[in-house]
Amino acid sequence: QNPIIIKFSHVVAADTPKGKAAERFKELAEKATKGRVKVELYPNSTLYKDKEELEALQLGAVQMLAPSLAKFGPLGVKEFEVFDLPYIFPNRDVLHRVTEGPVGASLMGKLEAKGITGLAFWDNGFKVMSSNVPMKVPADLRAKKMRIQSSKVLDAQMRALGANPQVMAFSEVYQALQTGVVDGTENPPSNLYTQKMHEVQKHVTITNHGYLGYAVIVNKKFWDGLPADIRTELTNAMKQSTQYANAIAQIENDNALDAVKKSGKTTVYSLTDKERAEWVKTLTPVQKEMEGRIGKDLIQSVNKEAAALGFK
Amino acid sequence: MKLLDHLEEYFIAVLMAAATLITFTAVVHRYLSGIDIPVIQDALIKINMSWAQELTIYLFVWMAKFGAAYGVRSGIHVGVDVLVNRLSEKNKKVFILMSLGAGAIFTGVVGTLGANFVWGMAHTDQTSSDLEMPMWIVYLAIPLGSYLMSFRFMQVAWHYVRTGDLPKHDHSHVEGLDVEEAVEAAQEGALQPKTAAGDKL
Amino acid sequence: MNAAIIFVLLILLMLTGMPISIALGMTVLTFLFTMTTVPIESVALKLFTGIEKFEIMAIPFFILAGNFLTHGGVARRMINFAASMVGHWHGGLALAGVLACALFAAVSGSSPATVVAIGSIILPALVKQGYPRGFGAGVITTSGALGILIPPSIVMVMYSVSTNTSVGKLFMAGVIPGILLAFFLGLTTWFLAKKKDYPRMPKASWKERFIAFRKSAWGLLLIVIVMGGIYSGKFTPTEAAAVAAIYAFIVAVFVYKDMSLKMVPKVLIDSAAMSAMLLYIITNAVLFSFLMTSENIPQAMAGWILDSGFGMVSFLLVVNLLLLLAGNVMEPSSIVLIMSPILFPVAMKLGIDPVHFGIIMVVNMEVGMCHPPVGLNLYVASGITKMGISELTVAVLPWLMTMIGFLLLVTYVPALSTWLPNLIYN
Ligand code: NA
Ligand code: NA
Repeated sequence: QNPIIIKFSHVVAADTPKGKAAERFKELAEKATKGRVKVELYPNSTLYKDKEELEALQLGAVQMLAPSLAKFGPLGVKEFEVFDLPYIFPNRDVLHRVTEGPVGASLMGKLEAKGITGLAFWDNGFKVMSSNVPMKVPADLRAKKMRIQSSKVLDAQMRALGANPQVMAFSEVYQALQTGVVDGTENPPSNLYTQKMHEVQKHVTITNHGYLGYAVIVNKKFWDGLPADIRTELTNAMKQSTQYANAIAQIENDNALDAVKKSGKTTVYSLTDKERAEWVKTLTPVQKEMEGRIGKDLIQSVNKEAAALGFK
Repeated sequence: MKLLDHLEEYFIAVLMAAATLITFTAVVHRYLSGIDIPVIQDALIKINMSWAQELTIYLFVWMAKFGAAYGVRSGIHVGVDVLVNRLSEKNKKVFILMSLGAGAIFTGVVGTLGANFVWGMAHTDQTSSDLEMPMWIVYLAIPLGSYLMSFRFMQVAWHYVRTGDLPKHDHSHVEGLDVEEAVEAAQEGALQPKTAAGDKL
Repeated sequence: MNAAIIFVLLILLMLTGMPISIALGMTVLTFLFTMTTVPIESVALKLFTGIEKFEIMAIPFFILAGNFLTHGGVARRMINFAASMVGHWHGGLALAGVLACALFAAVSGSSPATVVAIGSIILPALVKQGYPRGFGAGVITTSGALGILIPPSIVMVMYSVSTNTSVGKLFMAGVIPGILLAFFLGLTTWFLAKKKDYPRMPKASWKERFIAFRKSAWGLLLIVIVMGGIYSGKFTPTEAAAVAAIYAFIVAVFVYKDMSLKMVPKVLIDSAAMSAMLLYIITNAVLFSFLMTSENIPQAMAGWILDSGFGMVSFLLVVNLLLLLAGNVMEPSSIVLIMSPILFPVAMKLGIDPVHFGIIMVVNMEVGMCHPPVGLNLYVASGITKMGISELTVAVLPWLMTMIGFLLLVTYVPALSTWLPNLIYN
C-alpha cells in the first residue's frame, strides 16, 4: 500500500533552525508511523514562495507549512498580529505560557474556518535593533529609515519610536542596508547573522522588543481525513519536534550574537535597566493603539499570562 | 468595438503612468523625510507611503494582463516562426490558425481557472497586506485579462481567415523618427565626410 | 522520462510558431491535466504571483524610460558628441556609432532599443558618407547589443529574478565587460575601415567637443542618476528605473522638446504593450519552472551533470554552446527564464560565481541577438537598412567573430565580471 505523502514546504534554508526542526519532524513522523507516512521536505521556497504558500495549502497543493505568524493577518485572522506587538512577552516563559496554553489553542482554533489546522508554534526568537548609529534610547532612532516586513503593527511600532518605517522584501534588505536606502532594521540575531547584515550595520542593541515565530499548520481536510492512529503519532512527533525547534532556536540566536560580537564589525550594546524602561515606556502604547485591530480581550489575556508569572 | 479597443489602450497607458508616478513620489518622499529640517521632517514622516510598493505591483500586474490582450491585437507576442515561414502558403495557414487556436484555448482555460480561483477567494476574508484590499478584487485581473486575451486571439484568427492578414508588430519601426529627416539632420550637423587619403593623424 | 516529455512537448509547440509564452503555458497545462497530482488551481495562483515582485517592476520602468529617450532626441545628441570625439579616426562616423551605442546602452536597458535609437539616425548618415550599407549595419547590429551588457539591463533583471542574484551587483559586473566589448568592436571597425580606406571626418576642436558634450549632457546625466543613485543608496534598482522614466520624460518633452506632450499617450501605450509581452513571458516561464521543480528535473539534471564528471571548464563550454544554440531560435528573455533555473544550480555546485555566470549568460544573449535565424538586432537593422537577413548576416560576420572571441574571454576570466562588484561591495 502506498504511503501517505505529506508535502512540507517552507521558505528558509534547510540548515536554519526551522529547516532542521522540519527534518526532525520528518524523521520522527516516518519512524513512528513505520513508513506509512512519508514527509517530503521542500525548503527554500522551491515549490511555493512566501506569498503563495498559504493559498497553496488551502488548495491542498501542499499539506504542511511553517509560515511566519505575520502571514495570518492578511489571511483574515488579525488576532495573530498580537505576536507582533512590542513588549507583549516580557520573556520566553511568558511566551510559551501563551503559545502552549489556552490562548494559543484559541488562536489556532480561529484558523479552522480557513480550512487550516494549527499544530504547533515554533520560535525564531526575540528581535534586536540594528542600524548605523548607536541606539541607547528610542530617540536615537528618530527619523531613521527602518526596514520592516509588511505589517500595520510593526509600522505603528517604528512610528512610536519616531522612526520612518519602510516596507521592503527580505531579499532586498542586505543591499538596501549596504547602500543606505534604509538605515536599519529589526531581526532576531540568527537572521541578522545568517543574512550577514552585521557586515553592513555598525550597531546592534539587544532590545528584545518583539517576537518572531512560526506556526506549523496543515490542510484541515487532509488532517481530518487521516486515520486516527496516524494522527496521534504525528501529533506526538510534532510535540517532540517543537521542543527541539525551540531549543535550537535559542542556541542559534545565542551563538549568532556571539559570532556578531566576535566579527568585530558591529558593536553589540546591552541596555541598562533604566534605558530598557524607556524603550518599554515608548513602545507599550502601541498595544493600546492596536486594540481595535487585534482585540482588547486577547491582548488582556496575554497580559494576564504575564501577570501570572509576576510581570505587571 | 472601437470603443473597447480604445478603452483597452488607455487603461494600460493610465496604469503605466500611475505606477511610475506613485513609485517616483515614494522615492521623493523617503528622500525628503531623511533630510533634517525641523517640523517639516516630522510632518513628512507622518505621511504613510508604505502602500506604494504594493500598489505599484498590482497596477503592473493588471497592466500586464490587459497589455497582453492588447499585444495579441497588435501582434507583439514573439514566437519561433523560423520553421513555419519555410512552409508553403497553405500549410503555413494551417499552422498559424493552429497556434492562434492554441492561444485562444490556453487563455480561455486560464481565464476559467482564474475565475474559479477568484470565486473561492471571494468567500474568504483575505486582504493584501499593505492596502488591505480584498484579494479577490486584486486577482480579478487573471480571469478578466485572460478572457479578453482569448477573445482577441479568436478575433485575430477570424480576421486572418477572412482577409489573410495578421497583425504584425514591427520591431524595427520607430515612431517619430523619419529616416529621410535623420539623414538631412546628419548632413547639416558636423557629420561631414572627408577622405582619409593622404591625411596623417 | 517526464523531463523528456516536457521538453519535447515544449519544443514541438514552439516550432508551430505560437508565441513562446503560450507554448510554455500549454506545456504546463497539458502536463498538469494528464500526468501529475499537482492541483491545477495552483496554476491560477502562479499566474498572478509569478510577477508579484517589486524587483520585476524595473522592467516596465526601464522600457518606459528607454522609449522616452528614443523619441526625445537624446540619441541624436549622443551621436553628435561621439562623432566630435572619435570622428577623425579611420571609419570615424562608424566609430562614433559604436561609442554612441555604448553611451545609449548606459541609459537604456534593451538591445533592440539601442539599435533603433542609434541605428535609425546613424545608418542613413553612414550611407550618405559613402560607407557600404553592410558595413554600417554590421557595426550597429553588434554594438547595439551592448544595450543589455552595459547597465541598466532588462536581461540582467530577468536573470536576477530567476536566480535571486542581486541586480545591483549584476549591473556593476556589466560595466567592465561592456566597456571592453565596446573597445573590441571599435577596434574591429577601425581596422576594417583603415584597410578599406573609409572616410574620416574633420577633427573637432575642443570647443566643438565641449559644445556637443553640453548638448548631450542631459541624456548623459541619466547614467549618473541611475548608477549613482543605486550605489549611493538614494534608491533601489527598481526605484532607479522609475526615476529614470520620469527624468527621461522631462528631458524629452521639456528640455530637448523633441517630443510633444501629445506623443506621451502613444509612448505609454507602446511601453505598456512591450512590458506586458515580457511580463507575460515571465509569468509563463515561472509556471514552467514550477512544473520542472515539482517534477524534480533541475535537481536530477544537476546530479547527472555532476556525476558524469563535468568540470567547471567543460561545463561552461557546454553552457555557451547550449545558449548559442538557443539563441538561434529564441529571444533573450525567454532563454534566460527557461535556461537559468536548470543551469544555475549546477553552476553553483561547481563553485561558479553567480554574478559571473549571469554575465556569461548576458554575453551569450548578445551574440544570439546578432545572428540568424532569430536575432532581434538583426531584424531591427534590416528594417532600418532595408537589407535582407542573409545579406546582413554576412555583413555582421567580422564583428560577430569579435563577440565570440570576447565571449570566451569573459567565460574564462571571471575577474572581468567579479572584480568591480567585489571591490564596491566588500
Ligand atoms: Na543598458
Ligand atoms: Na540568434
